Amino acid sequence: MSEVALLQLIGLTVVGLGICILLFIKGKFLRVVGFVVIVLGTFTLIALGVPQMASLPPAIETFDIAEVKTPDDLASIGQKIFFSKGQCALCHSIGPSESARCPDLKGIGAKLAPEFIYESLTDPQAYIYLDFRHEGLPKEYPARMPYIHKNPIALSQQEIYSVISFLQKMSGEPISVKIEDVMNIGKENEMEVASLTVNGAP
Amino acid sequence: MKNHGIIENLKSMVPTVKPSSLFGWSVFWALVLLPALVWAQDAATQAMSVEYRDIPGLGSRNVVWVVAQQHLLLAGFVLGVPIFAWVCEIVGWKTKEARYDKLAKEFTKLLTSAYATTALFGGILLFLLIGLYPKLMAYLSDIFFPSFIVYCLLFLLETVTLYLYWYGWDAMQGNKKTFHLFLGFLLNVFALGIMIVPNAWATFQASPVVVAEGTAIDRAWAATWNPTWWPVNIHRLIANVVLGGFICGAYAGIRYLLAASQEEREHYDWMGYVGNFIGVFGMLPLPFAGYWLMREIYQYNQQMGITLMGGFLAWLFILQAMLIGVLFLGANYYFWMGITYRIPGSERSYRRPILAMLIVLMVCLGVWMTPHSLVASLEEARKMGGTHHPLLGVFGVMSAKMTVANLMILVTFMSFIMYWRAGKQETAAWAKIAKAVMGALLVIAGIAVIVLGVWGYFVPAIIRINYFSVAQVLIVLFVMVTFTPLTAVLMKSAKTTTEMVWGRMPIRAGYALVSNAVMVILLMSLMGYARSSSRVHWHIYGVMRDTSEYAYSPALGYAAAFMSLNTFVFCLLVAFIFWVATMGDKGKKTPDQEEPEPAKIPAGVTPAMAGGAPREKA
Amino acid sequence: MKGPLAKTAILLVGMYVFLKFILPLITAPLPASLIFLYLALTLASAMIFYTMSGGSLDEFMGPIGRFLTGSGQAGIAGTARILVFVLFPLLVGWQTYTRLAPSDMPPAENRTIHPAPPGEFVGLANPYPTTPENIMMGKGLYAAFCSPCHGANFDGKGPAAVGFNPPPANFSDPGTIAQLQESYLFWRIKKGGVGLPVEAMPWKSAMPRWEVELPDEWIWKIIMGEYDGAGQSPRTWEEEE
Repeated sequence: MSEVALLQLIGLTVVGLGICILLFIKGKFLRVVGFVVIVLGTFTLIALGVPQMASLPPAIETFDIAEVKTPDDLASIGQKIFFSKGQCALCHSIGPSESARCPDLKGIGAKLAPEFIYESLTDPQAYIYLDFRHEGLPKEYPARMPYIHKNPIALSQQEIYSVISFLQKMSGEPISVKIEDVMNIGKENEMEVASLTVNGAP
Repeated sequence: MKNHGIIENLKSMVPTVKPSSLFGWSVFWALVLLPALVWAQDAATQAMSVEYRDIPGLGSRNVVWVVAQQHLLLAGFVLGVPIFAWVCEIVGWKTKEARYDKLAKEFTKLLTSAYATTALFGGILLFLLIGLYPKLMAYLSDIFFPSFIVYCLLFLLETVTLYLYWYGWDAMQGNKKTFHLFLGFLLNVFALGIMIVPNAWATFQASPVVVAEGTAIDRAWAATWNPTWWPVNIHRLIANVVLGGFICGAYAGIRYLLAASQEEREHYDWMGYVGNFIGVFGMLPLPFAGYWLMREIYQYNQQMGITLMGGFLAWLFILQAMLIGVLFLGANYYFWMGITYRIPGSERSYRRPILAMLIVLMVCLGVWMTPHSLVASLEEARKMGGTHHPLLGVFGVMSAKMTVANLMILVTFMSFIMYWRAGKQETAAWAKIAKAVMGALLVIAGIAVIVLGVWGYFVPAIIRINYFSVAQVLIVLFVMVTFTPLTAVLMKSAKTTTEMVWGRMPIRAGYALVSNAVMVILLMSLMGYARSSSRVHWHIYGVMRDTSEYAYSPALGYAAAFMSLNTFVFCLLVAFIFWVATMGDKGKKTPDQEEPEPAKIPAGVTPAMAGGAPREKA
Repeated sequence: MKGPLAKTAILLVGMYVFLKFILPLITAPLPASLIFLYLALTLASAMIFYTMSGGSLDEFMGPIGRFLTGSGQAGIAGTARILVFVLFPLLVGWQTYTRLAPSDMPPAENRTIHPAPPGEFVGLANPYPTTPENIMMGKGLYAAFCSPCHGANFDGKGPAAVGFNPPPANFSDPGTIAQLQESYLFWRIKKGGVGLPVEAMPWKSAMPRWEVELPDEWIWKIIMGEYDGAGQSPRTWEEEE
């Protein structure tokens, strides 16, 4: 018997029980209980009558460098990281948004060089913008940006490069991150990357 | 002169409840909370190996589901009741009518007895969460530890205030009354705090704001002030009043059914009326708050918004429409029965307006419940050219739903105004003009809401959401805000043609009150499921994934079975608590107890809530 | 036959006739699920109205009660009562049989038309500026790749559309792309019918997975051309002038 059929059977039994209470029992409080039982049973039966859809979790994505063939592949991995493990989209948006608390990253890949983006991700305070939006001398405006390559997010260098290539692609720019370079990072820092990924596993 | 014998006997009943037992429970749980938090902290630093524990056979999620729902419903009741108990006390203080003071005290009695059980379930929930979801709890305690402390402090303050408020009720009559009212105010302030602090934890899970740098307080504060925090706070605050009102109504309804004497019948008929009134009053602005919340969610994350409105939870909103529809009908049904039964000879004259209102409500409900994509067999779908009906498909989108929701609110409000005016004759010279203006305003408002709704199909979504829907809401609010004082002024000078007779409602009325309470509880369970499952497979949306075997969200039917179970358990729990709380009534009842005469007031001065309460029979 | 009960019966029959036979004269026939819903609401209204006061309650429920208990029933009424008691179990049995009997009709289905997109597509924005050239290019690409099904007039009535069930989306309908953000369209065009998530079961969409044929740039431009051609604008949170 399927789960739905089983629940339907239970629902019908409960409603029947309620009707029996209303038909044969005089006790006023019990009658109210019977009434409540009928209402709840009917609700359950109706809910069982509408289309039943469960929401299954998607498979957990893994970043496999061996499958990367073109810069676009790298960018699509970067896209996934941007919106999940990297947690970038918690604060940043691509395109205007009311809920974003940090700068809009639309067109950022065209505006900034990849090296600069890399530095902003791994050492956010290296270059501090000045705030001119008030009178007097401009004040320093330090970014409230976490170190992306450290805990708790802890992206590997490869992952950071794939995010950069995604940002470039989202700005309509040709992707300037070289596949070979990214591959090589993997080989040079294999140990380091591996340990970082273990720590950073969400 | 024995209308309120039961309430009167409360005074003598008070000492039978041992203060120490209730107080002891609360202190016990408060103390238990603190070490438990430290425990969670420890878990964060060392034992990261265990991510989940399970209860075999039952399933950890199912257990947490039931316990959390019980805790939440009890908490909703415990936080909602003080709001209107306090308002009721003020009304009693201002109008010098002892009846309201007694009613407020009866509400508070229900509150006091439910309070310890709420804390009990909160404690059980905490232990279960720490035990079953150590990884998640470690993360949350890491971020929210400062607010845990605040929560504990608030809890202690709330407990102390509640005991002062309840046990000091009779001692603080007379010139100390203002201090007692101030205590009631404090009680509500602390209750608000107790609600919004955990709301921050729950809303953080749906719309997290993670700040990596800064002190613990910085991080906790940033996480607390997340995009859906205030929308949920407002929505829950109003919903708690609705829940409290309808549960008190149901309590009165059952007591009415069980009543042995005419005095009891009259009293509980009146109390049921007040409970229903509070519920309806809270229900009117509730859809607006819900709409705001939905808008914030959509804006925060399109994926979550679509999951709710168009994705796998789309049918949930049809069920919600059904429950809200039944609730609206139940509340109106009770109002209408009140007119036909409590005002003798009024049936004929009110038949037509009631029928008109009923038809409008039903048409609105029909539109609301029409889904966008219909359930159709292959053949039917082929004839329609898809699962969207060419004509009725237009009812499926947000513009139509908003319009009918507004119209239903408007009709329910008119029902209430009609009840208020029933059996009275305006004497003011300008009454005719005022009534004409009100009638015209109502018609214009109705037409404006419909026009905006239809126009909404032809403008970009953002214009509709930002201007049209807001305008509809403002129109309906404007009608309520202008009609209420206008009617109050009109009624002040009106003479009563037919006195309301209390205690004559049929058995159906009691059942209608029970049904309303059940609907509200079911709705809260349903929307809790929606809130929780809109996060899909995330503990904390986009930050921490649910990797347990319960990461999937169950289908509606299975969830509905749980909601029904939760509702049933909660109803029994509340019935038990109330039964225990009122056990002393019968034992202590002495037939000749002297009762102070409620102050006579001129007809019509009674505020809206009174609706012509039972009067002393000469 | 007057009285509430007869009126209710007449109302229900009238409603059924209207929904089943009269409404289809001007529009497509209604599915049975919807007719059932509206009839249920009608019945509920009648019951609420007639149980409002004691008098009408007796008029409404009295005949039913008398019929069931058999008090004062003789002649035709008495026979009818026995007939009902015999036929009712048979009706239930027949209902059960038709539910369980194997049928060659596919079951009634519900399809989630707009399932939630995967997270990595939610926050995307069109990287290309809305210029007349880009829109022109998008329309050209639309004409080449999309119009065979979705139609040259963006109304879902292309020459190939008749072969599909469900039919291709009609973009000029305000209930389709006007309700969605550009990133949503990007996802559906790029991943096609096979890219739909589990909750969109059954995956009934013949939309090709265009990512294998079209570069992202073209897809973004097609989206621009689509909105412009259909006279719709994408859902946004910003007001654009």
